[in-house]
Amino acid sequence: MIKINNVYKKFGELEVLENVTIDIKKGEIVSIIGPSGSGKSTLLRCINKLEDINLGDIYVDGKKIDKNISKKVGMVFQGFNLFPHKTVLENVIEAPIIVKKLKRKKAIAIADKLLKKVGLTDKKDVYPSKLSGGQKQRVAIARALAMEPEVLLFDEPTSALDPELIGEVLNVIKELANEDITMVIVTHQMQFAKEISDRIVFMDEGKIIEKGDPKQLFNNPNEKRLRRFLKRVI
Amino acid sequence: MEYILNTTKFILQGTLTTIKLYTITAILCIPLGILLALLKSSKSSILKNLVGIYTWIFRGTPLLLQLFFVYFALPVIGIRFSQFTAAALTFVINYAAYLTEIFRAGIESIDKGQFEASKALGMSYKQTMTRIIIPQAIRRVIPPCSNEAINLVKDTALVAAIGMGDLLRSAKIVMTRDFTIIPFMIAIALYLLMSSLIVTFFRKLEEKYSIGT
Repeated sequence: MIKINNVYKKFGELEVLENVTIDIKKGEIVSIIGPSGSGKSTLLRCINKLEDINLGDIYVDGKKIDKNISKKVGMVFQGFNLFPHKTVLENVIEAPIIVKKLKRKKAIAIADKLLKKVGLTDKKDVYPSKLSGGQKQRVAIARALAMEPEVLLFDEPTSALDPELIGEVLNVIKELANEDITMVIVTHQMQFAKEISDRIVFMDEGKIIEKGDPKQLFNNPNEKRLRRFLKRVI
Repeated sequence: MEYILNTTKFILQGTLTTIKLYTITAILCIPLGILLALLKSSKSSILKNLVGIYTWIFRGTPLLLQLFFVYFALPVIGIRFSQFTAAALTFVINYAAYLTEIFRAGIESIDKGQFEASKALGMSYKQTMTRIIIPQAIRRVIPPCSNEAINLVKDTALVAAIGMGDLLRSAKIVMTRDFTIIPFMIAIALYLLMSSLIVTFFRKLEEKYSIGT
């Protein structure tokens, strides 16, 4: 589904991604872990062209990514980025109506289903400023799903949340894991990553250091850097 | 009492000219300001610089000089306008320069995440601007626009300097003829009335756009 081949990315002189290569299968759930500044988020943002790469290739669904990539790939941001001047429902139906040209009625029907799924049906006419962080992130997930993407990227979806609100967001993501959607998740929630993922990727200093089965990787890490990282965060 | 009524009537005729000039300037300088602000926050450095030179000139020189330039100096090289056209043209170009900077600041004050979310949802640049960024920017530019709108009421009085019979000039004519302070008192009342109406209008606008904050 996603093929990342020998990707390099620089911010000025700083090499943030160095020869990154990974294949992600359809329906697979991959979590990317690693210390801050290791390039995890940048890698994620390259997949939907929020960042341009300097070298290498990224393919999604067999096609080299271009400006239409956002029709296939959705994204959930650390800072939610809901549209503050639109209600919850309007946030969810906006892109289906103006990008996919769906009829308003059809878009609302889809949105209703998604808001039910994330447990926010009663908030649909509320503006984002009236929601808690956890609720905002659940709306953002519904908004991304409304475009019916084949791939969903999560960029530290719980990092901006109060600890007691993290659970509700993780539960929604866990439920999505049972569906056919391919997910790439950058997260600092190790327990969650271990439970939900088919595969874990550990990055440090712009490189993939180790990748593999969650149990094996968490219980028996090969690399010294990963062992040190896990010791610090768990 | 009759004197006040007659004087007011005379001054109101001048006020009509003021209102006409005000309305035309307001209607034309807003779209021009938005367009130039979009050019200035675009990626093209040529456009950015051109707009930059324009705002530099028109914000950096006196409005009265610009008015004199259009009405008295341009005819020297064969470009002639009527009083009203010269005044309207100068005001539109001058105020659009201020609005350009206000709108540009408004657009650039919107969080980068809003652009990213729009892009991630597949929206085009135009859709992002018209549906997401500009509606949010409008909220933030209402207070500075309100200031400009009040300034414009007062600046229209400058057209007296090219001999246009506006509110101020009508008042001055009566004052000089009758040697009383009444015409100026009437002029003060009329200016205050117009400014108050504008302030009220912008307050309502601000309430309307404060949804969701």
